[in-house]
Amino acid sequence: MNSRVNSQRNIIDYAISSLLRRKIKNLSLLALYMLVVFVVASLIFFVQALKREARLILGDAPDIVVQRTIAGRHDLIPADYSRQIAAIRGVSNAAPRWWGYYYDPNFDANYTFMVPPADPPKKGTIWIGAGIARLLRGAQKGYLVPLRNAARKTMLLEVVKVFPADSELVASDLIMVSPDDFQTMFNLPKGFATDVAVTVANPQEIVTVAGKITEQLPGTRPILKSEMLRTYDSLFDWRGGMQVVILSAALLSFIIFAWDKATGLSADERREIGILKSIGWETTDVLLLKFWEGIAISMTAFTWGVILAYGHVFFFSAPLFEHAIKGWSVLYPRFRLVPTIDPYQLAVLFFLTVLPYTAATIIPAWLAATVDPDSAMRS
Amino acid sequence: MRPSSLFSIFTVCSLAMLALMALHAHHSQASGRNVTMARARLVREYQLTDLCLFTEARYTRNPAMADLFSAFQDHPASLEHFPSGSLVPPARPHE
Amino acid sequence: MIELTHVSKCFTMGKSNQFKAVDDVSLTLRRGKVTILKGPSGSGKTTLLTLIGCMARPTSGRIRLYGIPAPGFIELPPTDGFDISSLPERFLTHIRRTTFGFIFQQFNLIRGISVLENIMLPAYPTGESHAVFHKRALELLNLFGITRLAASQVELLSGGESQRTAIARALINNPDVIIADEPTAHLDSTLSREFMDIIGGFKAHGKTVLIASHDPIVYESALADMVVDMRDGRITGTGRVS
Repeated sequence: MNSRVNSQRNIIDYAISSLLRRKIKNLSLLALYMLVVFVVASLIFFVQALKREARLILGDAPDIVVQRTIAGRHDLIPADYSRQIAAIRGVSNAAPRWWGYYYDPNFDANYTFMVPPADPPKKGTIWIGAGIARLLRGAQKGYLVPLRNAARKTMLLEVVKVFPADSELVASDLIMVSPDDFQTMFNLPKGFATDVAVTVANPQEIVTVAGKITEQLPGTRPILKSEMLRTYDSLFDWRGGMQVVILSAALLSFIIFAWDKATGLSADERREIGILKSIGWETTDVLLLKFWEGIAISMTAFTWGVILAYGHVFFFSAPLFEHAIKGWSVLYPRFRLVPTIDPYQLAVLFFLTVLPYTAATIIPAWLAATVDPDSAMRS
Repeated sequence: MRPSSLFSIFTVCSLAMLALMALHAHHSQASGRNVTMARARLVREYQLTDLCLFTEARYTRNPAMADLFSAFQDHPASLEHFPSGSLVPPARPHE
Repeated sequence: MIELTHVSKCFTMGKSNQFKAVDDVSLTLRRGKVTILKGPSGSGKTTLLTLIGCMARPTSGRIRLYGIPAPGFIELPPTDGFDISSLPERFLTHIRRTTFGFIFQQFNLIRGISVLENIMLPAYPTGESHAVFHKRALELLNLFGITRLAASQVELLSGGESQRTAIARALINNPDVIIADEPTAHLDSTLSREFMDIIGGFKAHGKTVLIASHDPIVYESALADMVVDMRDGRITGTGRVS
C-alpha cells in the first residue's frame, strides 16, 4: 500500500513539473476552463437563488386573481364582480384591486401605481419604492413628486414613506396612492377595477372555485397562484433565449479546446513518452501521468470557477448579468440574493466538464503510450 | 518542497474553500430569512403577484398577470422587442 | 547469466518489406563479464540489445535469464533460469526496471527538467520512497563528478556531461546488467577512454556489461571479456580479447 502511495506521489511530482514546463500554454488552458465554469456556475447560482426567493415570497400571493378579457386582451373588470365571486362557496374573500402602469417621460421609466387593499395613504400623499427614490435622486419623506394625470395636468404628490432597500425585489417601482388620487391619475370609468383578488378558504378547492368563476362570469380569466409560481419556475429557463446563447457559447468553447487536446500530442510529447517507456515506465504509469495532468487542471479550474462564481453572484450581485437582465429598463432593482447551492446542477456541471477534459487528456496519450519501448532506441 | 506536496496542500485549501462556501450558504439562509419574510409580508399585505425584476414593459413587469397576447399587442406579427422577453416565458393558459 | 538460443527478430512480418534484424543468434553472456557486440550499423546490434534488455520480444527463439532474482509471480527455483521470451509486457517491464540499466546512443534525456530529476525518473513508478532514491541519485551525481550540475537543464550540458547523466540514470535502480548502445558515438577519444574507465568500475562491482559499438577504443579495450562480431543480423565470430 505504501509503495502504491509512493509511486502515485512520484508520478504526481512529474505531472506537476511537466505542467509547469509549459507554463503559458497550461495557464491559458486553465484560465479558459475556469472562465467557462465561472460563467455557467454563475448562471446556476443566480437562477437557483432567484427561483427560490420567488417561491418563498410569492407563496403569499393571492390565491386567485380574476382578470376580464375582451378579444383575448386584458380589460377592466366591473368592481361588482367581486361581490358575485365572494358569493361562491369556498371563497372567503374577494376584493377588487386597483393598480396600473405609469410612464414617466422625464426618466423614461415605468412605475407601478397601486391602491393598497387596506389603510391607503392619505389623499395627496404617496409611498414610493426604493428604486423610484433612487431614480428621483434620493427622494425622501417630504419630497414632492410631479406626476401627469389623465387630464394632462401635473399633480404634486408628497412622499410620506419610502419602502426599505431590502424590499426592492418586490417593491422597487411601486407607488402607493389613495383611491381618489388613483382615480384622478388614470380616470378609470366609474365602477371598474383592474382585477379581483380572491382568497379561497381551502387551498385544495382553488381549481374548483376557478372553474365556477369562469362558469358564472364568462369573459373572465382566473389566474391561480400555482400558475403564478410556475411562471417564476420557468424564469431563466435553459430553453429561454439568452440562456441558450450563454450555454451554447460555453459548450462550444469547451468542445473546441477538448478537441484541441484530443487531436493528439506534439512530437515532443510523443518523444517524451517513448523515453519514459524505455527507462522502465509501464503504459499504466504513463496513463496515470496524463490522468494527473488532466485532473490537476480540471479540478483546479472547476473548484475555483465555482468559488469565484459564488462570490460574483452572492457578494457582488452578479454584475456580469446586470446588462442582460436590465435590458431596456431604466428602473433596475438592487437586491442581494440569499446564497443557495444546488448540488445536483453543480454535479452535472462537474461531469460535463471534468470528465470529458480528463478523457481528452488520457486518450491521445494512450495511443502513444502503447508504443513499444524499443522505439526509443531508434529515435 | 515536492510538487506533489504543494499540489496536495493546494487541493486541500481549494476543497476547504468549497466547504466554507457551503457553510456560508447554509448560514446565510438562516440569516436571510428575515429579509425574505419581510418581502413575503409585503406581498401578503398588498396582494402582490410578481417580483419587480423587469420594468421595461407591462408584460415583463408582471409576467404572472400577462397573457399570450401581451407580447404581440403592438401588432399581430410584431416580434418580441424587449431583451427581458427572452428571459421570461409567455404565460401558459389555464386549462 | 543470459542465454540466447536461436533468437530471431523479424519486423513487419508477412508484408512485402519484411525485414529480419536478428537472424538465428545463439549466445551466452556470462555474469560479471563485459561483452561487446561489434559490427557496422545495420548489423542488428541495437535490436539484439533490445531483445536481451527485455524491451522487445523475439519472433522466435528463447532467452533465459539465470541468477537474476525471478519476480515474485514466477515460482521457479533460482538456480533454474526463466524464459523471458513470452512474458507479458507488465512482467517484462518489471524485470527490465529492476535488472537492466540502459544507456542510449542519443542519451535520451528529457528536455526541460533538471539533471537530478532525469536521473531519478526511472525510480518514480517503482513505489520506492522519494527520500531513498533521491539520496541514491545524489550519490551517483557525486560518483560521476557532476554534483554541481544537479539543477542544470539538460539542454545546456556538454557531450560528456550528458553521457554521465545518462549513465547515472541507468544506475538509479541498482541494476545487475548495464546495456549501452554506441555509447562513445558522440564523444572524443578522451571522453571515450573515460567512459571505459567507468565501465571498469562497473565490472569491479560485479555488474554484467553489454555494449554495442564499432569504436575500437571500446572493442579493443582490455576490459572486454568477449567480443561478438555481427553482420546482417548474424554472428560472424566470437573472440576473447587477450
